[in-house]
Amino acid sequence: MSWFSSRAPQLPNSLAGAGSAPKAGAALATLEPGEEPEVHSSLALATLFREVGPLGKLQVLDLGPAVGSNVEFLSQFGCKLYIEDLYAALAAHRRQEDRQGVSAAPFAELLPFPESARFDAVFAWDLFNYLSRKELAGLAHYLKPFCRPGALVFALVSILKQMPAAPIRFKILDRERLVYERQTAEESPCPRYPPAELADLMKGFRLDRSFLLRHGIQENLFTRLAD
Amino acid sequence: MVWKKTDEAPHPEPAPAMPRVATAPPAEPMRRPDRPSATIGPSIFIKGDLTGDEDLVIEGRVEGRVDLKKNNVTVGKNGRVRADVFGKSVIIEGEVDGNLFAQEQAILRQSGAVRGNITAPRVILEDGSRFRGSIDMDAKEPAKGSGAAGSGATAGGGASAASSPAAVPAGARAEAALAELGRPAPASQAALPARHNS
Repeated sequence: MSWFSSRAPQLPNSLAGAGSAPKAGAALATLEPGEEPEVHSSLALATLFREVGPLGKLQVLDLGPAVGSNVEFLSQFGCKLYIEDLYAALAAHRRQEDRQGVSAAPFAELLPFPESARFDAVFAWDLFNYLSRKELAGLAHYLKPFCRPGALVFALVSILKQMPAAPIRFKILDRERLVYERQTAEESPCPRYPPAELADLMKGFRLDRSFLLRHGIQENLFTRLAD
Repeated sequence: MVWKKTDEAPHPEPAPAMPRVATAPPAEPMRRPDRPSATIGPSIFIKGDLTGDEDLVIEGRVEGRVDLKKNNVTVGKNGRVRADVFGKSVIIEGEVDGNLFAQEQAILRQSGAVRGNITAPRVILEDGSRFRGSIDMDAKEPAKGSGAAGSGATAGGGASAASSPAAVPAGARAEAALAELGRPAPASQAALPARHNS
């Protein structure tokens, strides 16, 4: 009766938009004792909290794995927090697809939100790096009705040639800083979606702000447009 | 003043590896010997509703509903539960497919996995735990009746604001996190005001 996939799902062959699958037996990049995790300032995160923070009880969607410290941080907003690790769900779906020839990502199955869900903020983290163009467009189409007009989508996109073969685990340190925890030492080619293409794929959302950070990460904030 | 070696407190055992970013402080151990408790053993399979007036540890399989609102419920590492679970405190070390309603707190241990919704004033997810669903930590209304799965029934009111992570200023949490990272908190660290929901 185990309904969870493994904790560090391997990237299925067809999951990444432009990335190749990691080599078998990819080693986990665990931190050695005394080694410091990466801490980076986040301009987009600060902007997001500045804008949605005062709204009161928020509905927040986290598309990454459950992270205790993020839950704790977001609790100050009295959030109703939805956590759906879409990368892991897509990986499991792709494995099924390989076996049974299942069709394109069924977001309604992978992200089963109640009708009442109306998100004020969506944390996509670096998920977009691991989605194909078709999946990105499909995700935006599926999310739009579950987002309030004006809702913000927080997405990090790498502009480097290579990226970790699996999404980074992000921990919110405070309103302006994120801890990056790599889950694998393996790397794969990065799709390097340019902002204009992302804006085109995210129909129903407008790319409002984009911040290019020194470590090669472009932080993007999309705003859900009114109907 | 001469200190006798024998007067020194014994050195504690080395602490186990902790998550690198601060999470909520560890909760009290739930299996208290001074409280009556029952255990469903690993070979037991129960289908139906479970009610009672003592703490419960589930190491076996349960399908149906677990309703112990005044008591602590622990799903042990071997426990497999496909049910909504109501308890004062709910601790998950095994697997649960269902909704959790805790009057005081819900804790998902490192080995735990939950697919469902959690409603509790305080929720702790340990690093390594697996969770899919929603978390509602704004539970203030006491539970009424027997809310069905997904009916929005809430449990709560048992925890004081002081015991809730929401009552801890975020600045203090960031400092604690930095301390665990081995870094001093910057002087410009902006402390966020604690928010209390209406």
